[in-house]
Amino acid sequence: MSHAADTQWPRWEVLKQDAEGKPHQAVGSVHAADAEHALLMARTVFARRPSAVSMWVAPAASVRSFTAQELAEREAPTERAPAAGAPERYLVVRKASHRRSMAFGELVGEVEGANVDEALAAALARLAGEPVLALWLVEARAVVRSDPAEADPWFGPARDKTYKQQSVYSSRATARQDAAKGVPR
Amino acid sequence: MTVTDRDPLAHEDPRRLAEFEARIAAGEKIEPGDWMPSEYRRQLIRMISQHAHSEWVGMLPEGAWITAAPSLRRKLILIAKVQDEAGHGQYLYHAAETLGATREEMVDALLEGRAKYSSVFNYPTLTWADVGMIGWLVDGAAIKNQVMLAGCSYGPYSRAMVRICAEETFHHKQGQEMVRRYAAGSPAQRRMAQDALDRWWWPAMMMLGPHDSDSPNTPLLKRWGVKVKTNDEVRQEFLDEHAPELLEAGLSIPDPELRFDEATGHWVHGPIDWDEFWRVVKGDGPMNAERLAARRQAHEEGRWVREAMAAHAARAASATGAVPA
Ligand SMILES: [Fe+2]
Ligand SMILES: [Fe+2]
Repeated sequence: MSHAADTQWPRWEVLKQDAEGKPHQAVGSVHAADAEHALLMARTVFARRPSAVSMWVAPAASVRSFTAQELAEREAPTERAPAAGAPERYLVVRKASHRRSMAFGELVGEVEGANVDEALAAALARLAGEPVLALWLVEARAVVRSDPAEADPWFGPARDKTYKQQSVYSSRATARQDAAKGVPR
Repeated sequence: MTVTDRDPLAHEDPRRLAEFEARIAAGEKIEPGDWMPSEYRRQLIRMISQHAHSEWVGMLPEGAWITAAPSLRRKLILIAKVQDEAGHGQYLYHAAETLGATREEMVDALLEGRAKYSSVFNYPTLTWADVGMIGWLVDGAAIKNQVMLAGCSYGPYSRAMVRICAEETFHHKQGQEMVRRYAAGSPAQRRMAQDALDRWWWPAMMMLGPHDSDSPNTPLLKRWGVKVKTNDEVRQEFLDEHAPELLEAGLSIPDPELRFDEATGHWVHGPIDWDEFWRVVKGDGPMNAERLAARRQAHEEGRWVREAMAAHAARAASATGAVPA
């Protein structure tokens, strides 16, 4: 059943911001043919509830992932690539806790490096003394962002869909009262 | 643990295995990239992909009722619920991908009839009241299982479950509200609600899986924190919550042996027809063939869209000189 044109599209990691002033969080991934498709998929999959003001997507190939175990067992790079040209910028996403969560981790800032090793060293230096259970470096120029001017039409409609909230459903007592009154539901 | 033919851990490095088990005992989450026994990976791919398939097939029994919803409100609710199940499938396929499975392999296994999914979706939805009863009982049972799995030791599965549980509660509430109203409504509505309960009670009890004595994987899955509770423990939670609520709604539960045990504080149910369960799981339930046919049709009918998306992305990439991701 594998057809050339029916293989899965590339994977994109999704970063979602729940409210202004909060950091973007890594919430999961989608498959999409291109960046525009990835953003649409990200909204459909991760923002069916009113908890988004911004979404970013990054091709999985632009994301380097390191768990604490991998960092501990990682051999120090013996040879650094010479810093030729402009350094690359990377977003740093950190997992800081084993607590139950919907998100892998959250954005803690940006670092620069001529290569991934330099960027990783910069990120770890920045986070020295803080818990790092896992870390992502995301090539900043590969990240595609939802348009802030479109935030309302993009994320606003979910706010009116109150029937997705459990609190709108009647309790035992009101169900009986409503039934007695013949309230149409 | 019960190992019948071979020990799935025999080839593992004992030092790494001990470190892994110590991490789990300490409540740490295992993340993609961390060392894990191959059996842990295999069991997780099996469980998560079956769970993903269940979300997707689970859209079908209810989706068929969208156009027949009796009010706009009920139609909006049902559309939103079915959309959620599609999203739940996506979260889960992606969680399984972090273990090395591809979504394509998993979907192919489902479409070719090689994959298992929850037995409960192979029963027919005969009346509109079934939509309410599914929300109350099937989503209610699923929530009990998913709350348990939110505590799973594998990070991506746990996160998918936390996200799903937050959405799932609305599925349960809307069904409960609907059935309670019918149970307190006209004689015809009451009959419809009771008939739905008569048909969905046992499938809902069965969907939480075989008794612990017939679940050979459970001891290892518990030791590794994949499951935090056994099937029978989760079923007991489901029963203790739902039996009194259904009775209070004025419905009768089709189990002559059902009773509340004052001594233990738990409800006790009669024997479950496991022959029926295994028949349905193995493909011989009332709706297995229809469910797979509907999924295959949806997959085939979406093919031109996937091809168009790929062609559009390729053309846009060659126009800009950009390299496709
Ligand atoms: Fe679901
Ligand atoms: Fe659900």
